[in-house]
Amino acid sequence: MPESMDDSKMTATPLTRVLGILGIVAGVLMAVLGLFISPPDVVQGEAVRMLYLHVPSIWIAYGSFVLTSISSLLFLVRSRRREDGGRHYDRIAGSAAEVGVVFTGLTLITGMLWGKVTWGTYWQWDARLTTTVLLFVTYLGYLALRRLPADPIVRGRRAAVMALISFINVPIVHYSVDWWRTLHQKASLSVGRRPEITGEMYWTLLYSALTVTIVGAWLIVHRYRVIRLEEIRDEENLKMLISSRRHERPTGSAADGEVS
Amino acid sequence: MDLTPRHEVEETEDVRQLIHRRRRWAILAISVVLIAALAFVTAQGLRNATLFFRNVDEAIDQRADLGTSRFRIQGRVIPSSVQGEAGVTTFQIVHECAVAAVRHTGDPPELFESPWIPVVLEGRWVEGESKTVAGADSHYFRSDRMLVKHTNEYASANEGRVSEKPPAGFLDDCSFEVPVDSS
Repeated sequence: MPESMDDSKMTATPLTRVLGILGIVAGVLMAVLGLFISPPDVVQGEAVRMLYLHVPSIWIAYGSFVLTSISSLLFLVRSRRREDGGRHYDRIAGSAAEVGVVFTGLTLITGMLWGKVTWGTYWQWDARLTTTVLLFVTYLGYLALRRLPADPIVRGRRAAVMALISFINVPIVHYSVDWWRTLHQKASLSVGRRPEITGEMYWTLLYSALTVTIVGAWLIVHRYRVIRLEEIRDEENLKMLISSRRHERPTGSAADGEVS
Repeated sequence: MDLTPRHEVEETEDVRQLIHRRRRWAILAISVVLIAALAFVTAQGLRNATLFFRNVDEAIDQRADLGTSRFRIQGRVIPSSVQGEAGVTTFQIVHECAVAAVRHTGDPPELFESPWIPVVLEGRWVEGESKTVAGADSHYFRSDRMLVKHTNEYASANEGRVSEKPPAGFLDDCSFEVPVDSS
């Protein structure tokens, strides 16, 4: 393996290790708070505990998609001015989108389980659920687009445009419960509106959001580094292949391979 | 990784074209699946999202137009009106002071027992005398599917705030009184 790979094959740094340990500790405490310390709900009973995973998951998904959009915009605007062709922004966009898709999937799964207990059904095609699954599918499409073979800069531009188009759905998902009649309840917390959650449950929800944010940030940083390592690996492989080709030329027929 | 041809130029070109064709088909297949998924989800969404349910007052106003067609109705369950036997539950739902009698077949979800819980019912209007807290009615709603529409209000069960009283302000402008279930 080339030396440059050895030097940078780890995705962890002291800071991300601290972040990872913090995420694990915070996750354990979140489980204790959510499962044992916070009280059952007066209507939903124990089922309310799903709130502490379901709601923060979609918040982090929204945050990740915001990051994807900003990075995509920066890629489109600044790619020509940067030495790396803006691939730094492209990597951020890709890693954030992957984390966003994971958390959107988690939101859908926890929502279905919660819905079965409370609504009496796993799924209904109401506006919130429909737009959320649409969000999931469009960002899956975005990730698929990133995997298609093309020049990295061309692929980055295509992906950036799709990321910006996909983001249109994020506010639609969030406000769908206000704009249309849905089976889904209104937003649990909104800016400028008094929360309808009592003390312990409210603080557990905020704490869970903080925990999921730490885990999400940790995942994005590591995913970014894995993407960068994959690029280094491909560049090194290409160099090795070109080098081996140059040495393959049969002796005594130097003129055959010369380009005039 | 595909690099320039070595010696057998024609064969490598063939291989390259084969790879290119396969990629093209893969891209096409992925695109078709994604477009189909998007079209399906969007169609479902547009069909249901804009009018997922009618509130009780709207469903009563539109009764002539709705006829015997199937639709969803939404309202809060009046706790003192709930009666159940042999897989059939009868109760009344209210919204904006309009009340409808309901005859539901099937097991209600667990949260149905919560006082004043909002529910979404699937079914149709059926002609037949019924009595509600608001007076006599010529129709009742026959439903076979019930979804509980819980709110975004969360309160600790330890505080014992379960109440048979309607939510604050919910029936303030109504001309009728709702008896409180003492059981």
